Amino acid sequence: MNAIETEDLHIYYGKNHVIKGVNLEIPEKSVFAIMGPSGCGKSTLLRSLNRLLELNEDAKIKGDIRLFGKSVFDMDPIIVRREVGMVFQHPNPFPHMSIFDNIALGLKLNRLVKSKNELKKIVKWALEKSALWDEVKDKLHEPASALSGGEMQRLCIARAIALKPKVLLMDEPTANLDPVSARKIEELIFELKKDLTIVIVTHSPAQAARVSDYVAFLYLGKLIEVGKTEDIFENPKEELTEKYLTGRMG
Amino acid sequence: MLVRKIKDKLFIVGIATLTFLTILPLFHIVFSVAVEGLPVLLKGGWNFITGTLAPPDDGLGGIGPAIVGTFVLTFLASLLGLPIAILTGIYAAEYPNSLLGKATKTLLMIMMEFPTILVGLFVMQILVVPMGSYSALAGALALAIVMMPYVAVYTEEALRGIPKKYREGAFALGLTRFNVVFRVLIGLARKGILTGVLIGIAKVAGETAPLLFTAGGATRTYFEGINRPVGAIPLLIYDLVQQPYKNYHEIAWGASLLLLIIFLAIFLPIRLSLKEVKL
Repeated sequence: MNAIETEDLHIYYGKNHVIKGVNLEIPEKSVFAIMGPSGCGKSTLLRSLNRLLELNEDAKIKGDIRLFGKSVFDMDPIIVRREVGMVFQHPNPFPHMSIFDNIALGLKLNRLVKSKNELKKIVKWALEKSALWDEVKDKLHEPASALSGGEMQRLCIARAIALKPKVLLMDEPTANLDPVSARKIEELIFELKKDLTIVIVTHSPAQAARVSDYVAFLYLGKLIEVGKTEDIFENPKEELTEKYLTGRMG
Repeated sequence: MLVRKIKDKLFIVGIATLTFLTILPLFHIVFSVAVEGLPVLLKGGWNFITGTLAPPDDGLGGIGPAIVGTFVLTFLASLLGLPIAILTGIYAAEYPNSLLGKATKTLLMIMMEFPTILVGLFVMQILVVPMGSYSALAGALALAIVMMPYVAVYTEEALRGIPKKYREGAFALGLTRFNVVFRVLIGLARKGILTGVLIGIAKVAGETAPLLFTAGGATRTYFEGINRPVGAIPLLIYDLVQQPYKNYHEIAWGASLLLLIIFLAIFLPIRLSLKEVKL
């Protein structure tokens, strides 16, 4: 089954036409990479999937996005965002809250836990899943702002997966991290895809090749090519894709 | 070359002189209030703070009712004004592009610069005249109206200053707008909001004009209820300096120094210790 499908998706910022008729099928429990040069609309496309784009009053969306067969526009955006978690390019744990509270916040406010014990269990589970538990178990109640960039990003992953989403969107999650931290995040992606579907935006073809099962190449808002990662990298059908992959563009 | 250097020097000297002239009144005020007021406080002692006003030409007595009145008025004004002001600031920050949001921001800016004596007249019309008496409530309402735009504007600016990534992060967790604002953003903006609250309080603690037609003033009786007239330090100073008695002028200097101390006690910590949350 497909976790996400988009059908003739168009996105406009005011008069700017940024996504032009994109059709995607993202299979369940796979890692789906969206790659393309800067400014091609990758992040915009990603943000439309959990209806976060609608926070921007200028943005207009046409076409349909389906989450496990159901149009997200027929769902409450709050429910969509609970089922489709997101990790951003700039690590954004809430700096005034402790590590524990960063993860507990969504669980508490969305009423997903019944007792303090359950809350503690899920926080621990999420931190273990994001390979952060050993580093922070003794300082759970210290401010999240004291963590390193890589740790912050893993905390953001923990915060997102604690809500047990079905899909996790990652917007260039390693773009601002050092190579060692970036590698940890990539290892985490392999671990996480056992349980959920991951859609990752990246401007690095190398990263797309390393982490993804499927890849879509986006250029100037148009979907140029999409398919299994190995097929696209070994045998691109479009000239633009080949140019991009061989570093002759973007 | 030389001419250019001389021009440069003249420019710097000119600016330095003008800067000095600008801040001179501040030092003059602080200095003269301290020089004239300190002997009064020392002579009056504890009784100057707790006692009631002396008769004309008969010692110092105390300004207790005015001190208590200032605190009562400031407290009541905060109680009335802060919740509304903070909510208004949140509204203006959350809906900056809506017609009402845009209007709110402009109106707040106008309110900040509004002649405060007109606020006093307005409250007199709607409260003092119907009640038939000056009252602490009327004074507090006038001060609340003066305080609100400061707090609202600071709240709005503090919220708007939060980087977009935290807002998006909170929404991405499936939180409602209410929870995003009240459980995440307010916490991030708390220092900025608190600064606005303290500046609003410091501002109204020293206001005179809004109280002229509202609080009534009381110099020999302490706070008797929110429906009764109440004193305030600025109001007392205003009254005393118009009297032909030497001891009243001395009391006015002492009261001025106390007012300055109260003002600085609120204002200095804001400037010295409040730093924005590291974002």
